[in-house]
Amino acid sequence: MSAATAAKAPRALSSMRGWRSPPRIRQPLRKDEERLPIPHVDLVVGQTHHSRVGDHYHNTLADDLLYMTYTHELGERKPPRQIRLRFDPDDPYVVHRKNLPVGGDHRQLAQLPPAMTPDNVVRLERIVLHSMQKEAVNNRSSLLGVIEAFRAISGKNDAGGGRAKGSGVQIVHAKKNVGGWARAGIPTGVVVDIEGAPMYDFVSTLVEFVLPRLREFNGITLPAPSASTQSPSSIAGVVSFGLPPDAMALFPQIEVNMDMYPKMYGMHVQFITNAVGLGAQKRAQALLSGFQIPFARK
Amino acid sequence: MFAQARLAASRQPTKACLRRFLATEVDASVASTSASQTRPVLNTAVILNRSPIITRTPSPFERAYYKYQANIHRALQNPFPNEFYFKQGSPLEARFNVEEQRRERAALGTPFGMQEGEKSEAVLQAEQTIRDEEDLRMPRQHEADTKNDFKDLNRRGQRNLYLALLQKEGDKHVWRFPQGPVNQGELLHHAAERDLETQCGDGMDTWIVSRKPVGVYHPPSPPATDPAKKNVVFFYKAHIMAGQVQHDPKTTLDFAWLTKGELSERVEPTYWESVKDMLSDF
Repeated sequence: MSAATAAKAPRALSSMRGWRSPPRIRQPLRKDEERLPIPHVDLVVGQTHHSRVGDHYHNTLADDLLYMTYTHELGERKPPRQIRLRFDPDDPYVVHRKNLPVGGDHRQLAQLPPAMTPDNVVRLERIVLHSMQKEAVNNRSSLLGVIEAFRAISGKNDAGGGRAKGSGVQIVHAKKNVGGWARAGIPTGVVVDIEGAPMYDFVSTLVEFVLPRLREFNGITLPAPSASTQSPSSIAGVVSFGLPPDAMALFPQIEVNMDMYPKMYGMHVQFITNAVGLGAQKRAQALLSGFQIPFARK
Repeated sequence: MFAQARLAASRQPTKACLRRFLATEVDASVASTSASQTRPVLNTAVILNRSPIITRTPSPFERAYYKYQANIHRALQNPFPNEFYFKQGSPLEARFNVEEQRRERAALGTPFGMQEGEKSEAVLQAEQTIRDEEDLRMPRQHEADTKNDFKDLNRRGQRNLYLALLQKEGDKHVWRFPQGPVNQGELLHHAAERDLETQCGDGMDTWIVSRKPVGVYHPPSPPATDPAKKNVVFFYKAHIMAGQVQHDPKTTLDFAWLTKGELSERVEPTYWESVKDMLSDF
């Protein structure tokens, strides 16, 4: 008994240490098609560092945005009025009749945003960087430069960190033929999704290194005051803007070895938030403004 | 509405008297005074916040977690295309290789990240440059922390700080947030702004976050006053951007920038119960 406890104690201590010698391999690991060993456990790379801007969101912005965007509601909301007839299979009238689609405008009408709770305070979900390169239509290898630039900016890599989901920089293919110019299926550009801590790192790089040094940039242009509040862009909670090719040279990741890139590339940046419904774009703008991203009137 | 009715009543005494004379069952003047007695006295208070100014130091557990994740990331990363990002034999490439080898060795242990063969001229140069570089990091502890100066806005840089004033309430001194009454017909958020300036001077650049109050407090009425008369305090959140408090020594004895924990030791228990959920734990 005492011998067993004595034997256990050092083992417990050693498990507290950060690193210990790897367990003895009793059975060789299975190999994948590239003859690389497949580990027994599903390795998933989590956050590797503290995110300063992420902390700023959780400590300060989330509270402020809750207070700024809160709308008080008394009791339950009324269910939305059913404008069109719905197909009811229990109704004897509709049995054996065709369920034809109703005509008219199929665009979804702008709904009120969901009731405000501490859980659905507006937050940044991901950032999408996209760049379309015209010369890739004739010469697909001209995309290599922008792929490497996007890898440097986003820190994302194909299946990086052993994560099958982490798809890295993706190539965008043309969807359809454009007469005398593009054919369906040819590569035309690149796109990358940034989420989690790298997303906040991108925001801080943009705000501290790129935007202050960008010439003739007063801020992301706000939509005109007369713009429709029902339009898809104003109810989607996405803020998008373009960065000219000059801006790419201002990213520190690119600046350090700028002469290695064939040229500088412009890009579209889309900040995708969880805001939906009427006034979603305004709430998304309030969030980005809290990250010190400037906005300007036309 | 009530105020208008009362005003009208006071302006036309003859009519009121006439009505009192005619209506024997309900006395209008008595009804109006009881309404003004039960109507609470409105106050606004500002929770003036200094947000964290430096990143939080990770806990030992967080540090171990980040290190473990970084090591997994390094072990599973794709090969780095050196030849794309650097010119062959450039000083930048040599420096990157030296730093990368050090990171590799630190993460995965000695067989990894060891220099093979002779060190080139560029590598020796890069090692020398790294050795000569100064550490320009700022200290994470400000001198206000070592002196325990509660009035300095640079104290406790990692934490949220809140402004508290030491004021006379009745016959005792209490710590509370800057607070003041609401004038007749004034909007609450305007009153909050005005009261903050009255209490703390105009030497601060502040921003009141919302037009809606973030909390409410019903102070217990002191025994000397009428028990039917109720006080209500509405709280507003604000941020300080620049400046410092210039308090009036007649009304305010002292002020301090405090964390949530420090505040809980100073304020009254009933006050603490109603404000604690509006403050950031960190």
